Amino acid sequence: MMTQLETERLTLRRPNHLDVDAVTAFYATDRSQYVGGPVDASDAWRKLATFAGHWDLRGYGLFAIVPKGETAAIGLAGPWHPINWPETEIGWHIWSTDHEGKGFAREAALATRTHAHQVLGWTNIVSYIAPGNDRSIALAKRLGAVQDHDAPVPTPHDASTCLVFRHPMGAA
Amino acid sequence: MTQPTLTTNRLILRPITAADIPHEQAFHQTDRAEFVGGPMHPADVWRYIATQIGHWTLRGYGTFAVEEKDTGIFCGHVGPWYPADWPEPEISWTIMEAAEGRGIAHEAALATRNWAYDTLGWTTAISMIDPANTRSIALAERLGARHDGTFDHHRYGTMHIWRHPSPAEVRDAP
Repeated sequence: MMTQLETERLTLRRPNHLDVDAVTAFYATDRSQYVGGPVDASDAWRKLATFAGHWDLRGYGLFAIVPKGETAAIGLAGPWHPINWPETEIGWHIWSTDHEGKGFAREAALATRTHAHQVLGWTNIVSYIAPGNDRSIALAKRLGAVQDHDAPVPTPHDASTCLVFRHPMGAA
Repeated sequence: MTQPTLTTNRLILRPITAADIPHEQAFHQTDRAEFVGGPMHPADVWRYIATQIGHWTLRGYGTFAVEEKDTGIFCGHVGPWYPADWPEPEISWTIMEAAEGRGIAHEAALATRNWAYDTLGWTTAISMIDPANTRSIALAERLGARHDGTFDHHRYGTMHIWRHPSPAEVRDAP
């Protein structure tokens, strides 16, 4: 199981106990509204445990994004496939506005998408994005993903609460 | 940490795996799950098991899958559990129907309590139990635990705290 990736500016590693405070802060704010938040500190802790446990169940999962030269993670990105997901997803969250606008999410999403394609052998990659999450929609488009109006969405969502963006394959 | 495997007379206590999930999903379809979060959609059970496993990453310990040596039956998950919303670390147990009435929960809880004391260095342990969960209360009593106050959980309501005998009391027991 490959658990660490390197990009030009980032180290991508498995989420762990070092990420509790940042995850908790993120889920306390409206920034988390498109990914199941806001929730209180105890539920944020359980969400982080779920992200960590996904690695054990699937052999892969969301990577914590750590800028090189720093120790604290600033978000998550990577392969995500809970059991009610119709297809395999590349997801991303940047936890704080302090780290937005620097291309970190793009860099992490690209690296993990390549990893999913080349190492995990994924041939089908989508991103599920809530309507209104304009930053994520813009990033999906920059990554070359195209909205697929006919794709199934995870239960209990429908097209009014979840958009599907399909990533290009081969270009990865 | 690498999750250890413990053994008792009749049981193997090992890391929970994806293969255990169908048993947990079946359990969580029934009213038997009412005291451990209630009947739950299979997709939510999958995440709940991911949470159980991920607890190991965040705390360095967690619950074990309980497997019967002779039959290979998956009996449930038992052991140290300390999510952020718990007042202190507990020994927890969730037992599948196939393992009921044979002292399996007792054997597993005892082994994981000893492991928490001897290996993790816990100086005390509780179990949080719904006051209506008479089976679990009987097991807590059999483990020598005493009722020691209540805890109001934001989602599960008022839970009773049962405090286990200390490491010294366990050692000195006949």
